[in-house]
Amino acid sequence: MAKYVMVIDLHKCAGCGACVISCKNENNVQEGFYWGHYTHKTVGKFPNVNYEFIPTLCNHCDNAPCVEVCPVGAMHKDEDGTGMVLHDPDKCIGCKRCQKADPYGVINFNKEKAHPFWRDNEKIIPKVTSSGKEVTKAVGEIPPYYNPARANTTDRDKTYDGVRRKGVVEKCLLCDHRVKEGLKPYCVTACPADARVIGNLDDNNSEANKLLKKYKSFRLKESLGTEPRVYYIRDFNSQK
Amino acid sequence: SLAKDDSNSIDGGEWKPTTCQGCTTWCPVEVKVVDGRAIKVKGNRYSKAHNGNICPRGHMSLQQVYDPDRIKVPMKRTNPKKGRNEDPKFVPITWDEAIEEIADRMLELRENNETHKYVTFRGRYTYMRDIIYGKFTKIFGSPNGISHSAICAEAEKFGSYYTEAYWGYRDYDLENTKYVLLWGADPLASNRQVPHSINAWGDVLDQAGVAVMDPRLSATAAKADEWLPVIPGEDGALAIAMAHVILAKGLWNKEFVGDFVDGKNRFKVGEEVDESTFKENYTNGVVKWWNLGLKDKTPQWAAKRSGISAKQIERVATDFAKAGPNVISWLATGASMHVRGGYTAMAAHALNGLVGSVDNKGGSIRHSDIPVDDFPGYKKYLDKVAKKGLEHHKMDQRGYKEFPALKKGKSGKGVVTNNAADAILDEEPYEIKVAIGYWNNFAFSCSGTDRWEEALTKLPFFVHITTNPAEMTQFADIVLPAAQHKYEKFGYVKSKANTHAYVTMNQPVIEPLWDVKMDETEVPWLIAEKMAEKGYDKLIKYFKTEIKDPETGKSPANEYEFSEYALKIRTQPLWDPKIKVNGDQINGWKEFRKLGVWNSESYKFKQNWDDFGTKTGKFEFYSETLKKALGKHAKKHHTDIDDILETCKYEARGELAFVPHYEEAYRWGEEREYPFVFFEHRSRLNREARSANCNWYQELKDVDPGDEAWNDVAKINPKDAKKLGIKTGDKIKLISPTGEIECEAKLWEGVRSGTVGKCYGQGHWAYGKVASEDYKNKLPRGGNNNEILPPDYERLSGSTARHGGVTRIKIKKI
Repeated sequence: MAKYVMVIDLHKCAGCGACVISCKNENNVQEGFYWGHYTHKTVGKFPNVNYEFIPTLCNHCDNAPCVEVCPVGAMHKDEDGTGMVLHDPDKCIGCKRCQKADPYGVINFNKEKAHPFWRDNEKIIPKVTSSGKEVTKAVGEIPPYYNPARANTTDRDKTYDGVRRKGVVEKCLLCDHRVKEGLKPYCVTACPADARVIGNLDDNNSEANKLLKKYKSFRLKESLGTEPRVYYIRDFNSQK
Repeated sequence: SLAKDDSNSIDGGEWKPTTCQGCTTWCPVEVKVVDGRAIKVKGNRYSKAHNGNICPRGHMSLQQVYDPDRIKVPMKRTNPKKGRNEDPKFVPITWDEAIEEIADRMLELRENNETHKYVTFRGRYTYMRDIIYGKFTKIFGSPNGISHSAICAEAEKFGSYYTEAYWGYRDYDLENTKYVLLWGADPLASNRQVPHSINAWGDVLDQAGVAVMDPRLSATAAKADEWLPVIPGEDGALAIAMAHVILAKGLWNKEFVGDFVDGKNRFKVGEEVDESTFKENYTNGVVKWWNLGLKDKTPQWAAKRSGISAKQIERVATDFAKAGPNVISWLATGASMHVRGGYTAMAAHALNGLVGSVDNKGGSIRHSDIPVDDFPGYKKYLDKVAKKGLEHHKMDQRGYKEFPALKKGKSGKGVVTNNAADAILDEEPYEIKVAIGYWNNFAFSCSGTDRWEEALTKLPFFVHITTNPAEMTQFADIVLPAAQHKYEKFGYVKSKANTHAYVTMNQPVIEPLWDVKMDETEVPWLIAEKMAEKGYDKLIKYFKTEIKDPETGKSPANEYEFSEYALKIRTQPLWDPKIKVNGDQINGWKEFRKLGVWNSESYKFKQNWDDFGTKTGKFEFYSETLKKALGKHAKKHHTDIDDILETCKYEARGELAFVPHYEEAYRWGEEREYPFVFFEHRSRLNREARSANCNWYQELKDVDPGDEAWNDVAKINPKDAKKLGIKTGDKIKLISPTGEIECEAKLWEGVRSGTVGKCYGQGHWAYGKVASEDYKNKLPRGGNNNEILPPDYERLSGSTARHGGVTRIKIKKI
């Protein structure tokens, strides 16, 4: 299979957060967990102020520290050679070593049963309003907008939890369930700025490679030698 | 390579088109439905305005439709005492019980010949509003369909109307533009055409200059070439000085405006110009404008007022004009919803006139025709009582001396939404006894919220049709659970972007979980049916006789069929293959329901140059149109225009009133007691203050530059904060002359010293358990800006003056 990289064009990125919400939506990610996120900062003094925004996600590193430290092979590079760092919850023992080793802070640990908001029984007006529990019972899924594709696609296995079980870690899998079905990761699809490009590093003609040739790029914490597969081009801020 | 779309489903679902009305962009969208559940949202693939894009709000609506705090069944208040601190003690009732009580209260008005004492308060809407707010209200016999429009953006429309006779939002041709000037506009985040703007912005930055006038480093300012952090309310100084620069430097567009007869530029600082030396083409009064309002208004003059350097003003004006005519001066609420913002709106829009970008490629344009039908006439369904009721003046005091509300040139044609509270309290022009509010929350969304709380307490019978138990709901006698507009309801809206006008349909894409009804169509049908049972049948007769299925001629048998037929009637020209229209040809109703959107052809530029529809037919720098409108309003009140201007808090007298000109910002509070100018802004996650109960809203609140997740912060310049001994995270009180709220302090360099900026949208003391810190104890998360904003107006348009630093505040550390 193709060796995937993601290129994020910060000049196009509007900092809107659609990537984060759509990711949570696609992957049934609970409150407080982020598979994709962002960093931002305001630098300078009024009126010479710059706002910088960088959307983030798992970097699917070639030398992934989280994979290296996993004692049971739960966190692993995809056997298909796509470069994706995948996770096997059946093997995961919840030791959180990956979380500690991960320099990017993209791994979440399920200390409790996921989606407490949608299991909650509180009704703000008795008999008139509903509760998380009542809504999810009525629609038959947790969360109510539960996306079944997260769990029931990919030929890798058909067992990845649509909602993760207690006691395991979870993180961005580059939408392996979509990519392996020939679809772009959902954050790429949902980005209204078309700021994200996923492509084959081995294919000289892939859009990703074209962008990497055209523009100077950087990756996060490159000096650590993790060899991230998420590249950033151009600047968020264009103020003269 | 990998595919973007997943219509070839990996989840067994189906995409169904509908409309997102999270903001007023009004996006055509598609919802993925799996086993009857809505699981995802994307932009409608057939939309030429947004090309399949949506902003973060589109996804977020999933947490609205499945919000656990939605009202499941009708309810009734059992505590007769009303007030913020009273528990309404709501109990569930059946639809029949609820409708019966409403019908009784309304019929009581008919018996007493006082149908005018009934009001429909409309908030957000689809064009099915013409049932509940239009036909239902009128046939019943009340003139009082009161819309929310004046808390939204009427002052903005004032700018384009009194220059080019266009009362509406402009479309802006981003694809072909070479420069974009944004006046308090933040299109990467909010209102309007957000997804298209986000999608186009990278290219816009590559091909065009971008300058943003905003007191705050907004989302768009963060991605602009120039940020002009204007002192709130002083935008007018910038616009006027830019016009001065453009004329003084000879940079106006000669094709559009014309030129001096001998080609010699006489626009010299401080010098009057002889009108006969200039020959205008498509404009009216450029020399008058110079003489009256521009000749002394140099960048140096404006620098003192606006806080922006003369150098930057001159540079931006010059770059903008040199890039003309394919440029945009983008007018928005931020620079116009001020007490004296009407003329700022005119000035900002007049820049489009100066550089010839109005109605031009890459510029500020109108929209192509949208050929929808009206509902059939209702006059023959009016009985004696109704006719008498309709003779009364509308209840919001529009057209009063202090409220000209000059919509489309007519005194009192516009609404003065926020004043309805005072009208109820003062019983002026008369007492209001019964009201239905839908898709609105005026006790939260109108400045001076305390007046609404009092007015709703006073109102004898109030019905709220709402998805959530909101602030306004707390004062209701009957509460009806509303169908969510995007997932559960029929309707349509009209909008435009990317040179295409469009109609996009709202339709039920899922079965509602709860016992909800469509606010604009089903509820009025049910009330009409109940009234007929009790002997008054005019309403139901209109609905059954006039709202028939245009395909089969069948009368609606129930409220659901009625809703669908109503939508079919209005949109028939778009889907009926027998009717030819300029735009998408759609083959029948079924196909329209599958497509969800109708697109016009691309806009034809310069179509209004020969006649803008103003009094002179020209683009008016000297507005004969405004002169006439003001004159008529003055005459109505037996006075002169100067007196009207004074009453409306404007400074201009004489001829100056007819040209775009500078007016000093009007503020509440003395500087000595209230040292900070307060200004507010919108969130890129606000679904019009209805999304704060979504977890995604709270988790991502920091995508608004300067803001914090799960928080509501007042952004204070670190210099000021240091003097006050305040740090980020400190709990503070913001106190204005009319109210106070609590929130957290955020030290941020994106606001000017002497000003405090805060986002609108948080501070719900009702609405749901996520929005509030503690719903039961009515403890808000942060504070609602409208509790400290005074209820003031841009009176010429009737707009609520929520921007422009309308109030000063003081800050107290708690």
